[in-house]
Amino acid sequence: METLLIELLKSLVSGLLMGMVFALVALGLTIIFGVMDIVNFAHGEFLMFGMYTTLLVSPLMGVDPLLSLPVCGVVGAALGMVCYFGVVRFLLRGPMVAQLLGTFGLMLALRNLALLFMGSEPRLVKSGVLVGRSLVLGPGVVLESTKLAAAVLSIVSFVFVWWLIRRTKTGMALTATSLDKEGARYMGISTERMNALAWALGGASVAIAGGLLVNFWPVEPNVGLLFTMIAFATVALGGFGSIQGAFAAGILIGMIVYIPPVWDAATSFAGVDAPTIHGFKYTFVYLIYFLIMVLRPQGLFGWKQ
Amino acid sequence: MPLLEVMGVTKEFGGLTANWEVSFSLEENEAVGLIGPNGAGKTTLFNCIAGHFPVTSGRIIFNGRDITALKAHEVARLGLARTFQIFQAAGDLRVTENVMVGAFMRTASRREARSKAEAWLEFLEIGQAGQAMMTELPVAMQKRVALATALATEPKLLLLDEVAAGLNRSEIETIIPTLRRLHEEKGIALLLTEHVLEMVLALSHRVIVLESGRKIAEGHPEAVMKDPEVIRAYLGDHFIKRQREAQNA
Amino acid sequence: MEAVKNALDFSDFPRLDLTVAGLVLAFLLVFPALPHSGFAMATMIQFLMFSLYGMGWNTIGGYAGQVDLGKAQYNGIGAYTTAVMMVRWDAPFWVSMPVGLLFSIMWSFIIGYPLFRLKGHYFAIATIATSLVLKDVFESWDFVGAARGLAIPIRANLPDFLYLQFRHDYYYYYILLALFLLGILYLNAFRHSRLGYQLRAIKDNEDVAKSLGIDAHWCKIKAYAVATAYVSVVGSFHACYNFNIEPEDVMSLDLSVLIAMMALLGGAGSLWGPIIGAAILVPLKSYLGDWLGAESGLTGLNLVIYGVIIMVIAGAQPRGVWGMVEAVRARRRGGHAAA
Repeated sequence: METLLIELLKSLVSGLLMGMVFALVALGLTIIFGVMDIVNFAHGEFLMFGMYTTLLVSPLMGVDPLLSLPVCGVVGAALGMVCYFGVVRFLLRGPMVAQLLGTFGLMLALRNLALLFMGSEPRLVKSGVLVGRSLVLGPGVVLESTKLAAAVLSIVSFVFVWWLIRRTKTGMALTATSLDKEGARYMGISTERMNALAWALGGASVAIAGGLLVNFWPVEPNVGLLFTMIAFATVALGGFGSIQGAFAAGILIGMIVYIPPVWDAATSFAGVDAPTIHGFKYTFVYLIYFLIMVLRPQGLFGWKQ
Repeated sequence: MPLLEVMGVTKEFGGLTANWEVSFSLEENEAVGLIGPNGAGKTTLFNCIAGHFPVTSGRIIFNGRDITALKAHEVARLGLARTFQIFQAAGDLRVTENVMVGAFMRTASRREARSKAEAWLEFLEIGQAGQAMMTELPVAMQKRVALATALATEPKLLLLDEVAAGLNRSEIETIIPTLRRLHEEKGIALLLTEHVLEMVLALSHRVIVLESGRKIAEGHPEAVMKDPEVIRAYLGDHFIKRQREAQNA
Repeated sequence: MEAVKNALDFSDFPRLDLTVAGLVLAFLLVFPALPHSGFAMATMIQFLMFSLYGMGWNTIGGYAGQVDLGKAQYNGIGAYTTAVMMVRWDAPFWVSMPVGLLFSIMWSFIIGYPLFRLKGHYFAIATIATSLVLKDVFESWDFVGAARGLAIPIRANLPDFLYLQFRHDYYYYYILLALFLLGILYLNAFRHSRLGYQLRAIKDNEDVAKSLGIDAHWCKIKAYAVATAYVSVVGSFHACYNFNIEPEDVMSLDLSVLIAMMALLGGAGSLWGPIIGAAILVPLKSYLGDWLGAESGLTGLNLVIYGVIIMVIAGAQPRGVWGMVEAVRARRRGGHAAA
């Protein structure tokens, strides 16, 4: 019983912490979708760039990986802008197929740029104030400080971006564009600038999430796809374009990912000879996306901005 | 027994009422005009009858069958065809192929569909355009092709949503006799909404007037057009006031 | 009977198209007799396979306009059915291929029913999700070899036409070529069929299509099953041709997107489009990969270039190469170019 309880507690805490990072990952996607109804297949690649940024910048500048986060933000924002002005702008005129393909081409290009320059072996941040430390919450329940810090800083970043969008003039212009493009244009808000801003904000927030993740999640050129899918599932669950939705759904997805280990612990505790399913951790994410889209396309909460 | 019977149909979108308790009927081989100012709920009513929208309450009977809960393609298969107000030519079908899509509702054979499509194009006097792409045609021609496509499904009743919209005066004048022939030679009942009153009056045996989603008048076209309530709905209160002042003076 | 007539009816193409098609066919028939490298032969086989994938995708993605990015799962079902049946029960290809086809079509109906309640982006992403779920299942399913995959044992006597095992690639080539020709004929019949017309009407405007008595949801499911059939058969073939199959190979997202790419690049919704697309992309990909491969120390550059090409095409000509041809022809006719 005790081992089961510990497993449950451990998964709950891990799920909660991961969920907060997922929320930040999904934030960028939902902002971009809200403003311009476009799905960015390269979203996970932005995250991957953020991961590599931290990995490279912190030894180069001789600072702790955590202090490289602002650099991640800048790199992400720049990447977002470059992608918008270099590629996405040209896709907007075309049909939906063009947008899907175009951002897929972007994904392929970014992923393989990373392969070209960084090689294919997985890498992890090896030194830093957080690495190797942990917090013992109870017997068997150990909190790795890297995950805790990632979760806390994800929330901070999320709230900061949310504040930018809701409380600053530019942010409100962004919201206006996402609600009513035509109307916003009549008020003198340039759609083009808002689109670029959405890509910059989206790129920055997901790259910061990458900078946080790389402290405990190895980076390799193909790491992006999983996070793209997680972000799609999160955004679908929270309602496309909804920011509050992304937050709640991120945490929920974080928890869902930890159902399989809990299930395995429960079956082994009950002595049932059921097959283990922890290999299906992320399969559940895809399933959730599928089920939500089919059963409740407006998202679990039905929130609109 | 009437061909189409609309009984107390109400359609709400969220809190907005688009149609409220609308009832009317239409006999076989009858032509009925459905008129009313912009936003009166004509197109919504069409969409409800043709099965594109589910109704909030009320019943619709077509040819002796309750079609209230049927989907659009099921309604179409029972012999109720429609045209669309906003028709955007798109895609890579040629004119004849486009009409064949309609004919394919009754046959699986391409040869048969083609000969039917060609016959309808002849009937609508656009047989020469068969090989053109839809996007290459002027609006008036596109509308005729859309009409031919709907007719190729061999309907008993045809709902015409603003056929005259986007047409110029001479095009309107040429389409009126075509529609009349359709009705007289082919025995197809018509229910038409129209802004161009001249067209409604020329074609309809009977007129129904909608305002703000309600039926406010029904009857012989000329009688209905003299109904003060209809005039008010169409032209506004100030028009009636001015008319009265003119009479008093 | 009419279906056969439809399959052979190419009368709506200008003579130029048919002449070019005839020349290409002649080349394909004699290619193995011409001097060629093993690499060129492998590339030609890839070209034929991707043409078939693309033709299949074209039914749902091109004619019906539903962007399906999950076709790899059916490649996986076909390949795995064949491999498992050969490894475990020694069943010949000609038995396992139809069984795989049956499984694929059954699965396509099961997921097609909910999938086609979605539209646009949502549909596209959902197709990816279903394919990834199936891949995850295969990766941890011991019966099919899990992530290690399966290896088909080599037969004692080659050539073996029952199990499709040959010492020389040209056997595979001609079998594929036969499938390729069948695929074209079937697609031609499909294009002329009631379903083919109805799908194009759905793509143009779904509401108008419904008003013409077309059950759009059901039509899409049927087209999806047709697309699935092409991919599944090629998947079964792929298992025999490659001997080794693993989930990452036969059901990756990259494969799904590549399939869609072939058709879109060439021109979705046209008979020649997928073939043109495969004829451009397959050699490009394999020769880029060869020149910029492991020895050159530029691993990844080939796919960067590939990604850039995809972006350029998506931005510049979403109707693909065939779209350009049609635009030129429309201008010649003096009409407006179909946008």
